[in-house]
Amino acid sequence: MNTWNRVGLALAGVLFFWVGAGDAQVRGTIFGPGSRSYPIAVSPLRNLSEGAVGRELGARFADILERDLVISGYFKIVDRATHIEQPQTSGTDAETINFDSWAVLGALALVKGTFQLEGDMLAVEVKLFDVAQRRQLTGRRYRGSVDLLRRMAHRFADEIMLQFTGERGPFDSRIAFVSNRDGRFKEVYVMSLDGGDLQQVTKAQSITVSPSWSPDTRYLLYTSYKRGNPDLFLLDVVSGRELVLSRRGGLNLGGRFSPDGSTIAMTLEEGANSEIVLLDRTGDLVKQLTEHWAIDVSPSWSPDGRQIAFCSNRSGTPQIYIMNADGTWVRRITYEGDYNTAPAWSPKGDRIAFVRRYEGGFNIFTIRPDGTDAKQLTQAAGNNEDPSWSPDGRYIVFSSNRTGRKKLYVMDASGVTQVQLTQGGGDDTSPAWSRWLE
Amino acid sequence: MASRVLVVAALVFLVVLPGCPGRKKGPGAAGGEGAGLEERGVDTAGSLERYKAGEKLAGDSGPLKDVHFAFDSYELDDEARAVLRENANWLLDHPREKVEIEGHCDERGTVEYNLALGAKRARAVKDYLVSLGVAADRMTTISYGEELPLCTEHNEECWARNRRAHFVLLGD
Repeated sequence: MNTWNRVGLALAGVLFFWVGAGDAQVRGTIFGPGSRSYPIAVSPLRNLSEGAVGRELGARFADILERDLVISGYFKIVDRATHIEQPQTSGTDAETINFDSWAVLGALALVKGTFQLEGDMLAVEVKLFDVAQRRQLTGRRYRGSVDLLRRMAHRFADEIMLQFTGERGPFDSRIAFVSNRDGRFKEVYVMSLDGGDLQQVTKAQSITVSPSWSPDTRYLLYTSYKRGNPDLFLLDVVSGRELVLSRRGGLNLGGRFSPDGSTIAMTLEEGANSEIVLLDRTGDLVKQLTEHWAIDVSPSWSPDGRQIAFCSNRSGTPQIYIMNADGTWVRRITYEGDYNTAPAWSPKGDRIAFVRRYEGGFNIFTIRPDGTDAKQLTQAAGNNEDPSWSPDGRYIVFSSNRTGRKKLYVMDASGVTQVQLTQGGGDDTSPAWSRWLE
Repeated sequence: MASRVLVVAALVFLVVLPGCPGRKKGPGAAGGEGAGLEERGVDTAGSLERYKAGEKLAGDSGPLKDVHFAFDSYELDDEARAVLRENANWLLDHPREKVEIEGHCDERGTVEYNLALGAKRARAVKDYLVSLGVAADRMTTISYGEELPLCTEHNEECWARNRRAHFVLLGD
């Protein structure tokens, strides 16, 4: 299923934009994430088509959008059952909407729009309004295959967040993760943040671990034992083509693309010891970065590609270190606790998330790259591990077994909102959050 | 041919010096000294093979026993060394056997760190066996980190069982 190809054709070329006037006034009235306090009403899209086919798409768009807004932690959704205006019998622009009927429900913001389905092609026009000021803040038109409905809703959620917070939201992206939900084998899956568009992308029927994305969201790296040895594989998610990038003896582990996509940092065990090295995109060794008898794993690039955080037990216990991307100037940044692993550098560059073993449980912390200001984000019992940042740097997806099996959760960067993302059987681990889809 | 001579020589050696400390037959070996018939249970399928086939993973089912480790450690304590001395004896008695040493961890901690830790455990075991005279080229190592546990309970008893190096006979 070449969803990404269709996206490239449909969305890139045929997207029209227009932005409402004076939207800057609204910013600054939003509270922080986790407040869940800004009341927004999302009206199902009005169906402009004649026939009955696709009638439910307008409501489905609203469902997806509402879920994203809830996950963001900023908004409170006005209950759809209380809506007075109904899609098929009311207007969708500032002149024709009865704003009083929304104000009386407590809504401060309103989403309304239309859709039209012609065969397989879906055209959506959707707008965001300020209820009190009775004016449009922003609007979008989307056109593409009906398969892209979910992405259209995610894009508009990102746009709403841009309007209210000044920063684009993270919803039009993908999360890759490892799960044994469909059997006893751990395979790599890909989904949207809200759990939709779930797709199994490996069928190795072996052990597969530690997926990560290329910056252009086209490729996944992961380590798999399908050939008997833990080898590093590169998967083209669009074509489905998989090739083995590194099959050196011993571990080929934890491949991470540099931010410019040119280089891959990973751990090799060739010889006697695990070391962090750089490979190019064909799998050839460019440089060995660490040279130490200790365990050195889990490289994580700074967003400017100049530094790499990693985990090493060279001091006797696993701790977080940073080095330059050429291996020079190695310095330790965690000094509290005897077990600090899994560094993940925020796309904003100002904090590094990691996992700390603390009083028997594992919890997620963040720290400044200079080693100061460590903050604990998760407090739940059990294991909270595998942090990965959203592309906008405001959210972290992670794995937690707080309710029994390991499931994926998302929280904002201060740990206030924690929403469970995956359900069902099996264990879901090792989430990797992609950049925005093209 | 040379290995057959070695086996015979070893058996002869055992007959001649019954009182030699530390040199005893591996567990499971039957038959009298020099009888020429040996029987044993062997563990020839590795943990990943068993897992893929849907079989239960093996602990100490063969002549080579698992050794265990403390949390976040690849050090061999006295008990581990004692087990490895016995394993070394068996390997020296069966010089044609090749073996894979698997390194495993308990479920806590990061997947990647545990894969590296498992590799350290397997190598530590191999290095010790080499120091006891087992030829290095008879032994390969592989790490499975926390991916192939023997048990899945979330308690120290289970975790301790999972922190192990496991031997797989590869035949000759």
